[in-house]
Amino acid sequence: MVSFGFVRCIKCLSVAAGLMVLTGIAFIYSGLYPMGADNQHTRLTFWVLETLREHSISRATQDIEVPLDLDTPARLLRGGSDYAAMCASCHLAPDKKETDFTKGLYPKPPNLTMTHLDHGDPKDQDKQYFWIIKHGIKGSGMPAWGPGHTDEQIWNLVAFLKRLPELTPAQYQILTANVPE
Amino acid sequence: MKRHLLLYLIALPALVLTLTAQAHDPKEHMNEKQTPDCAAMKEMDHSKMNMNDPVMQAMMQKCMGKDTKMSSDGHDEAEVKEPAKHKHK
Repeated sequence: MVSFGFVRCIKCLSVAAGLMVLTGIAFIYSGLYPMGADNQHTRLTFWVLETLREHSISRATQDIEVPLDLDTPARLLRGGSDYAAMCASCHLAPDKKETDFTKGLYPKPPNLTMTHLDHGDPKDQDKQYFWIIKHGIKGSGMPAWGPGHTDEQIWNLVAFLKRLPELTPAQYQILTANVPE
Repeated sequence: MKRHLLLYLIALPALVLTLTAQAHDPKEHMNEKQTPDCAAMKEMDHSKMNMNDPVMQAMMQKCMGKDTKMSSDGHDEAEVKEPAKHKHK
């Protein structure tokens, strides 16, 4: 037999939950949320989004197989050329500290010439680079390069990214330049 | 008048489609007017160079004129062994 107090408690909780939903909807329609990229997330929002992103990508990359020949000169040359054209404006080059994109984008794109994403096992990092390049990240300014690019082209980029932090500006220039026809 | 309107209705989407297709042409990725500064290699400390390092090998290939011209599908013309094709989600 359910007690009267328990039923009353359930009713109170339902009313409270309903009020919270209504408040949330009212907030969405109020226009009070600051949408500008120059207005940073609160620490809680940032944590929620970052945790969501990390776990989502980690789960999505489980079945990806990393090619055995990532560290070859041919991949570095192909990946380097594409990096300069597709990525350097946001993720920088060894001789650049910032661009208009890095100054204005929020969240700020990682400087891939300085650091690797910290994902422990290098194979996991390769998988995550591949997945992020191919699928992009919602609401971050990182596009999905999958449409219009083959998996091999994306692995070439991953191969280049693995070596990028140790490249000097001169090495970067040679690897990324195209010989005019 | 109706003909003009119809013309615009056909021409505009066609133009948009064409521009979209061009945006994914691999040639669009090429850096314009950038040549490898191979003279910089001579100034590098050769005693610290590891000739087995893929970065060094790639620079040598680039500066010796190998493996540099891009074919129309975005891949280099000078092929090295390709791995098995990888299909991923």
